[in-house]
Amino acid sequence: MENTIKVERAILNLTQDELAQKIGVSRQTINSIEANRYVPSTVLALKLSALFGKPVNEFFKLTTDD
Amino acid sequence: MNLKKAEACERTKLERFLNKVQLPHFYKNIGIGLALLSFIALIMLNLVDDEALWLPPALKHAMLIGLLIISLSREKIEDELIETLRSKSYALAFIIGVLYTLFQPLANYIVDFFLGKQEGPTEIGYIQVLLFMLLIQVGFFELLKRSR
Repeated sequence: MENTIKVERAILNLTQDELAQKIGVSRQTINSIEANRYVPSTVLALKLSALFGKPVNEFFKLTTDD
Repeated sequence: MNLKKAEACERTKLERFLNKVQLPHFYKNIGIGLALLSFIALIMLNLVDDEALWLPPALKHAMLIGLLIISLSREKIEDELIETLRSKSYALAFIIGVLYTLFQPLANYIVDFFLGKQEGPTEIGYIQVLLFMLLIQVGFFELLKRSR
């Protein structure tokens, strides 16, 4: 699984800390998601979707390994 | 399906119960203090000849309670990644604890054999195993947290 959270965050001009506060997680969690070290739950993905105003599959993509 | 419903689907009854069992974050410092003080007291006891028989087990129990408090304390920001890391640390502690229980008496026996003591395999106490498992859990949790 790969994602473009970093790009979406840059579009909204948010820091990792600001995005983390908006969806109720820690800055380290956002960092782990952006670095593809952690795949978030459905709830967190939907929260990101609501914040970015885009469907989940626009910023989370399956890779050939998945 | 709205977010609340999705959240309700993902969080099982057991998960919600476990969240209630957890202690507030400030308890972590109390746990660290209790574990450290009892550990230091145990070391000091070894230096003193005149010791009460009830004191070492009582201090070991205090250390166990301290480690349990650390283990059950919430983080400042308790999110789903922290919950995942905590679950992993408990799983690792359980597996390593079982391996420790299985192989520690054997390791003691081998060392005793080479030192010429020739004693049979010794049993290990439940406090020793529980202390070891809690130390592994707390240690791995901190390690996983730093490498997240």
